[in-house]
Amino acid sequence: MKKSILTAGLIIGSLTVNAEQKMVMDGSTTVGPIAKAFAEYYMRENPGVNISVSESGSGNGAKSLLNGNCDIANLSRDLKDSEQQAMKDKGVNPVKHVVAFDALPVIVHPSNRVKGLTIGQVRDIYSGKITNWKEVGGSDRKIVVVSRETNSGTFETFSELVMGKDARISSKTEYAGSNGAVRQRVQMTKGAIGYAGLGFVDRSVKALEINGVMPCVQCVLDKTYPLARELFMFTDGEPRKGSLAARFLALINTEKGCEIVEEIGYVPVNAAMRK
Amino acid sequence: MRLSTRKLLDKSFTFCAVMAVVVLTAFLIFVLAPIFVRGCGAYVFRGTVEYRRMMLDQFGRGDEVALAREIALAQTARQPVYSAVTAFEAELKQMPAARRREMRPLFKVVREGLELLLGPEPGKPLPTLPRMLYGQTRWDGARRHLKHVLYEVQWDYSDDDDGVRVLAPRKPFFAGTALEPIFDLLENDLDRMLNPRLTFYGRFLTDKSVDAHFFGGIGPEVMGTIYLALTAMLIAVPLGVVAAIYFQEYAEGGAVMTFLRSCVNTLAGVPSIVFGLFGLAFFINTIKVSQGKSVLAGALTLALLVLPTVIRASEEAIAAVPRAYKEGALALGAGQWRTVLTIILPAALPGILTGVVISMGRAAGETAPIIFTAAVSVGKLSRPLKMLFRDTPALSWNLYNICTEHEAVDRIRHVQYGMALTLVVLVLALNLVAILIRARVSKRLKG
Repeated sequence: MKKSILTAGLIIGSLTVNAEQKMVMDGSTTVGPIAKAFAEYYMRENPGVNISVSESGSGNGAKSLLNGNCDIANLSRDLKDSEQQAMKDKGVNPVKHVVAFDALPVIVHPSNRVKGLTIGQVRDIYSGKITNWKEVGGSDRKIVVVSRETNSGTFETFSELVMGKDARISSKTEYAGSNGAVRQRVQMTKGAIGYAGLGFVDRSVKALEINGVMPCVQCVLDKTYPLARELFMFTDGEPRKGSLAARFLALINTEKGCEIVEEIGYVPVNAAMRK
Repeated sequence: MRLSTRKLLDKSFTFCAVMAVVVLTAFLIFVLAPIFVRGCGAYVFRGTVEYRRMMLDQFGRGDEVALAREIALAQTARQPVYSAVTAFEAELKQMPAARRREMRPLFKVVREGLELLLGPEPGKPLPTLPRMLYGQTRWDGARRHLKHVLYEVQWDYSDDDDGVRVLAPRKPFFAGTALEPIFDLLENDLDRMLNPRLTFYGRFLTDKSVDAHFFGGIGPEVMGTIYLALTAMLIAVPLGVVAAIYFQEYAEGGAVMTFLRSCVNTLAGVPSIVFGLFGLAFFINTIKVSQGKSVLAGALTLALLVLPTVIRASEEAIAAVPRAYKEGALALGAGQWRTVLTIILPAALPGILTGVVISMGRAAGETAPIIFTAAVSVGKLSRPLKMLFRDTPALSWNLYNICTEHEAVDRIRHVQYGMALTLVVLVLALNLVAILIRARVSKRLKG
């Protein structure tokens, strides 16, 4: 009985899915604001379309694409070799689309007197070698180290760009589930240090100079800020011409799409050309 | 034991019990009162002219003519500010280069602050995101934001210790320039520029959100929660009641039954996140009830979660039916099947319903089982049957989402509290229904 209900359900389900245009996006919380704004903009322009967005982290986004549970996976990092291998084995052909450029501002509580750090100092703080702000020119206060959880693309980028191959993140590190959670933790805790995407950093926290450069649009473009990265949307295969995914992804390169990206606080793909 | 000691012990126990109740009540008030008070802020607040402009643009609500008049009035009040800005821009060009370099970033901050407060400057190209199209829609937000425009938060690091927060008025920075008067204008005339009015936004409950909850309501979340809870109960109740009847009326004792019963009890103790992961692994990835997250997958997972509660409540209700009812039916020649269907079930129904309604409250409030199986941050509603195979936003999950993951957590506090209030009221209402049913049952059984 139950099985027949399920089968009937499957049939109805496949019928309705074909009847209405539907698209599912899953993945990074950093790309989330862009995906949400794009989806709402696109649905407003095309009322028959239904786009849903989940923010479960880059790692889950990649898994979702691998299992065929989403049409577009948002990632704030490139696919790992292991993921690419798994997709190849399953016959999934990931194609990447750059949606925006981002920097990873290193943020502290605004009461912190430290103005900037070098990459080496950030690495030492996260690996647990430096535990007090006075060692890097601050006041005598213990450092509360906040990181994104290991499922996050932001974490991967940070590990790669800051920690490198040798240093390990200390076991005393606190892990937070999203960019917003990192910012809230840092904004409420004196002595905290964290990192998040450009779109999440506002005046409630203080961004530090890294190797003497403040994170900004200009320094992301000319690559003087060391913690810069690209944000991606992945599809299974190049989307067919005229398909919903193709039309949606075309938004990235339009004037409107770039405006949305910029208004959220990231660096749009056309910024390099405008310069 | 001496009588006085016994009395003392008795009194101290009474005291402890009363204290426990007092602490519990205080705690309940402490937790619920802020949710109620601040949650109501999402429904009743002082809306500004920007709010009415947004409502007309995004939802087509409101009186166009009256609004046009109101906007014109507000515009007249704002004009001196914009004139000062234009005058200052011209002044800036005349300044010596060094002073211009110093003033420009300060001016930029004020200008951005003004746009957030009053909306885009007239005559400038409009931004794309709805969140930037309007000024502060709520008077409380406007008052808060006004402070950002009037004062600059600075941190004084001159001491050896941590920096100290200093509020520095911006006005002195611009002393002697054309921009100076705007600070007094804003402080004194803001209510004429925004025209706050007591607003009742009942449709917060049913409206869709605009631009990721910056504006609009929580309709899709409420509907998603209801769909999920109802579908879960549609699946769990028949299964649970049939299982309970079997356990109570048909099953013989023995090792298998003891084992099955302990299985049901264990199921009740499994953490909800385990159900969520199981739902993803089994319903979505293995038997593929839907392609990706869906209400159906979420409801199946929730049904598993509440199944033990439904079974136990139904078992208790069935066991409470007086034995004489059953014996009478059997003596009159009714078979067991007929006895169960026409005598026992109707008598046990109110008890079963109580369990069902309480489980429904649980299903509506659960977050972990639906994270991987049903819930999304942005989604659109469609007809119920179609919804079954769609992912959906839901109150519990989206509350978490907009409190932690959202890019502007501080700007949408009222939505967070409104959502929390709605969820709490929904669950409370369901529990209240259960209490009413139970009261009726006990009355009937007594009489």
